[in-house]
Amino acid sequence: MSPAKWNIILKIHRQKQGEAPHFEEFPMQVDPDEYVLDAVERVWAFMDRSLCFRHACHHSTCGACGMRVNDVEKLTCITPIREVTRDGATLKVEPLRNFPVVSDLAVDMGTFYSRMETVGARAVLPVSEAEIENPPTTWDADESQYIRLADCIECGLCISACPAAATSTEYLGPAVLAGAQDQGLKRNLKLLELVDSEDGLWRCHSAFECTAVCPSFVDPARRIMDLRMQVIEERFKRLFRKP
Amino acid sequence: MEKQRNHPSPLKFWLWFNPIGRQAGGWAYILHRITALGLTFYLYLHLIVLGLLAKGPDGYDQFLVLAHSPLFVFGELLVVAAGILHGLNGMRIALTTLGVSVTRQKQLFFGLMAIAAIAILVFGIRMFTV
Amino acid sequence: MSKPHAIIIGAGFTGTATAHDLALRGFDVTVIERGDICHGTSGRTHGLLHSGGRYAVKDQESAIECITENTILRRIVPQVIEPNGGLFIALDESDLAYAEQFIESCEECHIPLEEIKPQEALRREPHINPRVLTAFMIPDGTFDPLRLALAFAGTAKRNGAKFRTYTEVKKLITDGKGNITGVNLLDLKSGKSAELYADIVVNATGAWAGEIVETVGVNVPVKPTPGVMVAFEQRFVQRTVNRLNKPGDGDIVLPQRRMVVVGTTSFEVDSLDYVPVLEDHVKLMIERGAQLIPAIAGAKIRGKYMATRPLIGGGEGRSVARTFKCYDHKEMHNLDGLVTITGGKATTLRAMAEKTADVVCTKLGINAPCVTAETPLLSYRQYYLQPNEDFS
Ligand SMILES: Cc1cc2nc3c(=O)[nH]c(=O)nc-3n(C[C@H](O)[C@H](O)[C@H](O)COP(=O)(O)OP(=O)(O)OC[C@H]3O[C@@H](n4cnc5c(N)ncnc54)[C@H](O)[C@@H]3O)c2cc1C
Ligand code: SF4
Repeated sequence: MSPAKWNIILKIHRQKQGEAPHFEEFPMQVDPDEYVLDAVERVWAFMDRSLCFRHACHHSTCGACGMRVNDVEKLTCITPIREVTRDGATLKVEPLRNFPVVSDLAVDMGTFYSRMETVGARAVLPVSEAEIENPPTTWDADESQYIRLADCIECGLCISACPAAATSTEYLGPAVLAGAQDQGLKRNLKLLELVDSEDGLWRCHSAFECTAVCPSFVDPARRIMDLRMQVIEERFKRLFRKP
Repeated sequence: MEKQRNHPSPLKFWLWFNPIGRQAGGWAYILHRITALGLTFYLYLHLIVLGLLAKGPDGYDQFLVLAHSPLFVFGELLVVAAGILHGLNGMRIALTTLGVSVTRQKQLFFGLMAIAAIAILVFGIRMFTV
Repeated sequence: MSKPHAIIIGAGFTGTATAHDLALRGFDVTVIERGDICHGTSGRTHGLLHSGGRYAVKDQESAIECITENTILRRIVPQVIEPNGGLFIALDESDLAYAEQFIESCEECHIPLEEIKPQEALRREPHINPRVLTAFMIPDGTFDPLRLALAFAGTAKRNGAKFRTYTEVKKLITDGKGNITGVNLLDLKSGKSAELYADIVVNATGAWAGEIVETVGVNVPVKPTPGVMVAFEQRFVQRTVNRLNKPGDGDIVLPQRRMVVVGTTSFEVDSLDYVPVLEDHVKLMIERGAQLIPAIAGAKIRGKYMATRPLIGGGEGRSVARTFKCYDHKEMHNLDGLVTITGGKATTLRAMAEKTADVVCTKLGINAPCVTAETPLLSYRQYYLQPNEDFS
């Protein structure tokens, strides 16, 4: 038995090159247990073939479908419509903040990905290093040989939600700093100069918005705080090592 | 340049104060900014008034009258409040930086704000009753 | 002579891998995609880096392709792969009966196989069904779909390939004599139309391949066959877990970041552009997944989704061969300048590209060997580091 359908109005941010941005409304019938991305995709499939949006995996592994849903950053592929609106209401969908808009809902990830590359954020890591809340009671004897994809899916939600990132294009941003922390200064001391800077660690003002929106258990805010401690430790060491 | 529309810029500073869709830490951030701007504004105001006072005893007497008006006292209270809020919030940032209360940042924020509210109340009562 | 120009329609696995191959062989490549990378089937793939075990009994050609390509991909794109291997587990008598054929076929296809005792299987993967009767280890893996395509696309871009995303191919342009000379485009970002000419057009639109060639009145035997997958919020296993039996619905569970994903089903549709995730298929996935890993029955669902396989030729659902086909439309329909590549699997993307590039080179009389099997790919982030092409 499928649950009762809802009638909602999808209010989508539209912008074509050379045009002013505006909102366009698409009334539609949805199943409340569908995901927001499903509704957006249906607009593309049946109502307006020119809608531009990013998406790929539809199960929170690729990080392409980040959007702002009713003013909050969401990974739309795992956000059930039921959680963000109600029957008869309007659902506003906008592109992420703090990224250049390519068109409609699609943003340009160039700068973000190049920063992830600069800090060398890891894409895969040994399972034994991944912080899993409920590790199986009996790990394989040589569990460390197993490798898994990193938690951060590079969706950019944290950067869109970060109020410090809204003040400067130069700020590295939560995910990038979290990527640096994941390696740790011990493993990669070259990161020190990069993160210990005005546009690095110290621009963060503890708003914790990144952690609030991160869909993938990265907890960037905690990682930034941890990296600060690492930097302070390293600077102290250097202070005393000087002749 | 419409590609840059969504880009951060000091020219769109009002966006920094948009509280919609934010949680405790985000409100703290906005409060921190507003109080910082308020205190900076006050600093300049203060310097200007000091400049006026340096002009002689007449100015000083006139100023004392003004300084006792309730509106002025209220303004002073705002400055005190901003100082308290900014100071306590700064402590929150420093504490989290040192790894204290990182997982309990909301509690820390609300706790400090409660302290701030009490302090502001106390100051308010004292300032208006003296 | 200036470089030959190739247009590739579609930036899924097939399109991006072909772009990489042709760029290495000295082509000037333009990839046209109506969405971003992996807008179609590829992004939503289950994500199993097949060892070939699944196909060994019924479809040895596919199985051999898989094990060969599996080995190559582990070498050239380790950045997007969880190379942890896989288990085939037997839960009942019919599974045990299948085991014999399975061992034999895997040997024939040179798929490394290790039989392990139930206790040992449970020690390695404590969450699998405790009723396991026997188990086999095989070199399966898991990959991140988007990043696999990005690695190919990014490397291609560094080698000079151009990408025009959010650009739809409206129709193929013919020279009047029935040969394809280019494509008619619509840039969805600006609403502007344009024409682009090339020495060869490669149709890599997967399940949509038929729609493209229909614009010049011919068809290719592609059979779109969607399937449903369900992701759960806990990483119960470190390796992929397969039911040791004939390929069926919901008989593969694989780990992916902090999740496990159960898949898939197989059905037919009318409209390709949006296929609903059918509730009864989701139920079936939970049920079947729980047979392999009982904890799935009580686990929280993180995502439900579907994708559409581009299967080739006649036959029904799972009986259709899983290999790929590269059609030279000169041979098929006396239409020069157009090649269609479709079918296959994510695991065989590189081989599909190699075959396509071979056909293209032969057609244009170019002598350039394929080197993709020995060329490690650059970081998948390279794709976003260089801007895409725009109409100016
Ligand atoms: C449910 C399911 C599970 C699967 N699981 C696995 C697995 O575990 N392992 C594995 O190895 N394989 C798996 N596969 C197979 C694999 O996903 C596909 O074979 C592969 O993704 C096909 O890639 P493609 O590039 O040919 O097609 P697509 O990815 O569909 O690419 C075609 C592209 O062309 C674009 N396009 C279409 N029309 C136009 C146009 N007019 N103009 C511009 N662009 C256009 C589309 O937007 C699309 O991006 C699975 C398939 C399905 C359906
Ligand atoms: S840290 Fe979280 S929110 Fe930020 S990009 Fe990574 S996964 Fe997305």
